[in-house]
Amino acid sequence: MIFWDRGLAPSQSRTAALRFHTARAGSFTLRQGDQPRADAHLPSPLPRGGWWATRACPLCLALLAFLLAILPASAGQLDRAALESHFPPPLVVGEKDGALPVWPILKQQAGAYEVFAYAFESVDLAPIPGFGGTPPDLLIALAPDGTFRDVKVIAHREPVFLEGLGSEPLFAFVEQYAGLSAKQAIRVGRPNARAAGAPPQTTVDGISMATASTRVINQSILASALVVARGKLGFGAANVGLSVQAKPGLYEPLGLPDLLARGWVKRLTVTNAQAAVAFKGSGVAESGEGAADAVLTDLYVAYLNVPTIGRNLLGQARFDALMRELGPDNHAVMVLSTGPADAPENPVGERFVLGAVPDRLAVSQSGLIVGARDMAVERRDAGLAEGLPPGNWSILRIDQAAGFDPSAPWVLAETIVRERGQILSEKIARTFPVETALPADLFTRAKPDDGPSWTDPWRARAPELAAIGLMLAILVPVLARQRGLVAHRRAFAAFRLAFLALTLGFVGWSAQAQLSIVTLVGLVRAATTTHDLAFLLYDPPSLVLWAFALATLLVWGRGTFCGWLCPFGALQEFVALLARPLRIRQVTVPAGLDRALRQLKYGVLAGILGAAAAGSPLADSLSEVEPFKTAITLSFVRSGPFVAYAAGLLVLNLFVYKGFCRYLCPLGASLALVGRLRVLDWIPRRAECGSPCQLCKVRCRYGAIAPSGRIDYPECFQCMDCVTIIHDPAQCVPQVVDRKRKRRSAPHPMAVT
Amino acid sequence: MTLRNLKRPARRRVVLGVAGLAAAAGLGGIAAFRAAAASRGLAIRTRAGVAFGTTVALTAAGRDPATIEAALTDGFAAMHAVEAAASLFRTDSALAQLNREGSLAAPDPHLVALLRFALTLAAETDGAFDPTVQPLWPVWSSAAARSARPAADALRAAIDRVGWRRVRLEPDRILLVPGTALTLNALIQGYAADRVMAALRGRGIADAFVDTGEFGAVGAHPDGAPWRLGLADPRDPGRLADVIAPFTGFAATSGDYNMSFSDDRVDHHIFDPSTGHSPGGLSAVTVTAPTGLLADGLSTACMVLGRDRGAQLVAAHAGCAVRFTDKV
Repeated sequence: MIFWDRGLAPSQSRTAALRFHTARAGSFTLRQGDQPRADAHLPSPLPRGGWWATRACPLCLALLAFLLAILPASAGQLDRAALESHFPPPLVVGEKDGALPVWPILKQQAGAYEVFAYAFESVDLAPIPGFGGTPPDLLIALAPDGTFRDVKVIAHREPVFLEGLGSEPLFAFVEQYAGLSAKQAIRVGRPNARAAGAPPQTTVDGISMATASTRVINQSILASALVVARGKLGFGAANVGLSVQAKPGLYEPLGLPDLLARGWVKRLTVTNAQAAVAFKGSGVAESGEGAADAVLTDLYVAYLNVPTIGRNLLGQARFDALMRELGPDNHAVMVLSTGPADAPENPVGERFVLGAVPDRLAVSQSGLIVGARDMAVERRDAGLAEGLPPGNWSILRIDQAAGFDPSAPWVLAETIVRERGQILSEKIARTFPVETALPADLFTRAKPDDGPSWTDPWRARAPELAAIGLMLAILVPVLARQRGLVAHRRAFAAFRLAFLALTLGFVGWSAQAQLSIVTLVGLVRAATTTHDLAFLLYDPPSLVLWAFALATLLVWGRGTFCGWLCPFGALQEFVALLARPLRIRQVTVPAGLDRALRQLKYGVLAGILGAAAAGSPLADSLSEVEPFKTAITLSFVRSGPFVAYAAGLLVLNLFVYKGFCRYLCPLGASLALVGRLRVLDWIPRRAECGSPCQLCKVRCRYGAIAPSGRIDYPECFQCMDCVTIIHDPAQCVPQVVDRKRKRRSAPHPMAVT
Repeated sequence: MTLRNLKRPARRRVVLGVAGLAAAAGLGGIAAFRAAAASRGLAIRTRAGVAFGTTVALTAAGRDPATIEAALTDGFAAMHAVEAAASLFRTDSALAQLNREGSLAAPDPHLVALLRFALTLAAETDGAFDPTVQPLWPVWSSAAARSARPAADALRAAIDRVGWRRVRLEPDRILLVPGTALTLNALIQGYAADRVMAALRGRGIADAFVDTGEFGAVGAHPDGAPWRLGLADPRDPGRLADVIAPFTGFAATSGDYNMSFSDDRVDHHIFDPSTGHSPGGLSAVTVTAPTGLLADGLSTACMVLGRDRGAQLVAAHAGCAVRFTDKV
């Protein structure tokens, strides 16, 4: 971009505005090489124990009321001066539009102004909440023809970019939009999708580990551009997602002359005289040889998908083969050159490259170029033997994503290039268009409703969703049937390890479905400011797990999620396996301290949700108390302090088993709170539990069993150890004693087991 | 009747508004003007924008830059108010609502002022100027999209819906005979120039040059030179056909080149209400008048009336002058 400095180099003064605004939104990592400051992100020292837990809520409410009063509503933040820094002279920032929050960017030409672009902030027109619950704010410049001049990030609160990946990948992501047309549906592909052959005019490369965020950004860009296109440019991007298909059953045997007569096949003939008129005044008008009425090019143009056109021109077999190769919803246009084959003007002559985007032929509709590529279908003997005149052809493929509507008039333009001058020759080009307008009743139109594309991630992630569903379908009966697998100590231990391996490897690292407090922060922000829960729909695996976790909360308590489906929990469990070979002994936390530390997590939760409710970006920083993003989402690929923190928690776990889960985890705290609604006291108890027997209490690695034998369900991780014990007559002490007593009183000796 | 393409900014005529700009096009020249102006203690500011589907620019001069900026802000606010009343580029304007619903209670005063003038001019020109030609627009534009001319019956059906007597302007209400649709695009830019000039005057601005698509000027350039208005050659917009100097008051141009339905410019956005076709004879008409509204209305009417009857019409209005360019 010549006109639009990205403004990120720290030495340039015009970066100040951008940096200021971004910093205000909570991003600290703007410049490449900037390391996040640990003090800004790591959890602040938290008040200790019970006091905080009991007093936190009124305190938070007061804080919330105060912050709500002083915070501005979410809206665009750039003023004229900021716009001018983004669009420096010779561009002129025009007066803000009267109806839409749009700034015309003008350039002066020959004493008059021309519109260079319309600039606007996405948050003003399409405030779509991001993954963190706050809409990203993008500065978008849309040219009058509907092309993105550029897209820049003004502010965002996407957790994955705020910390971890840093904002650089996001800046690079939005750069891809420059040059794309807002008239087409642009989709976020996989990373390197473009290089892998995805259509570059309708695909941007995604960012791994940031799928949900990039989709929200994409939605923000397209939705806000659509509003401006409708309001200022006079097109509604009506063709986005449009599917117009030729009715396959409609066939009428017709010859080429009939098709030409109906206007279904068009002919574009350029004679010497016509070329001379077009090139008049350019100095190369007379360079065509021969008579004035000599034909330079003679093209037949046909939209092949309509059977009455394609089948008649190609014959049944070739037509069927072509339609198979083309695939549904895509379009084929034939350009047959019957003029002099060796003429330099012939667009499919010697210099034509098979399979390329032709440089001398262009399809356009409503003034916009439609991407069309040669299909590399060679003519040889194909085509209606008696009807189609001889000559080379190009069959052009138009991708469905191009938004081409064959039922509306479209233009094929041939470009003729002539050179002026012998040594330093100058190329002069003129185009010769021919329009095709086919009757609308040859087509079926299917226009998907304009709803957001949240269904896409569900469709795309169906296999993952199915696998997660299968996992849950296996887990529920295993946990429910206590006399089944649970009662078999060894088999159940193996099952548990296998399941946790899946939770960590598949649910966590592969499907990226680690539930997180960030979602709750988003919910709180939705409830207080944005009033939009749509962001949840963009991450289907997480939503499924949330639904499952909530359902099991009401039946079994927090343990089902915390003990079985939390990838970081699983990771801790695997790390803890090392304790024995490393001869590390668990540290016994004194009972009083243990009780106080357990309350700490509620304080953390209150702090985070309070900050979120107050609209404070502090919520994002506080959420970093969770090591989930570092350990699971980003697989430890993150800056030093974060990795050290997550690793530290794992080491702590060797000494204080799942210390993070029990003392710090705000997500666990929230689940434990809701888990109080649990309906089942599902862990079987005996009269002897607690008095005199303390086996389960001692064996419980979570300290969730009181000396009295009572189960502290909010602290239970549903590991089933105590359930296994109680169903194992060889382990459950009261049963063992009972049996011994019976044996003593029995007259017949029994086999000793 | 001027009907500008509803959405796409119309191709602009080239107008060299600021004095001497033609002689010293380029940044150095502008800097020189600034210096000359500053030496007389005057500041000059220009603000551009988009309104009425085209680019607009307001230039004002004065002693206090803050006052100039405030005046320019007021000028744009005035333009936006006119747009909200009568722009067909905005689907939420009062005029768009009137066309949709066929009646409008308690109409916007700007809309009333424009419509009252339009109906008066229609009566004066015996319908050569007519604000009800809007039904012709879709007929022509859809035909042009097919590179064709409208079918005779479609055109006849549209003409049947045209007629300025189908509009009733009551004190508190506007009523349209069903099927009628209004366009004030022929007047709105000139009227906006009036409103902008009034807003600038309200801030005490004595030297200003206003381009709302039509033109207005008061005072002189702060360097002391008079404002000059360059008129583009309708067939070669890069070339100046004429220069009005000194230029004060208002000027409006109607032409066949802004929005043509055909390459030969036989069919364009100005319709003869009686035939439904574009009037032949003239390629462009420029009228200078004491108000932008009058200049804009007269120039459109002259396109339809032709050279002789147009000259008579203009002569009947004090302080007006007209320049004709024949069709070639």
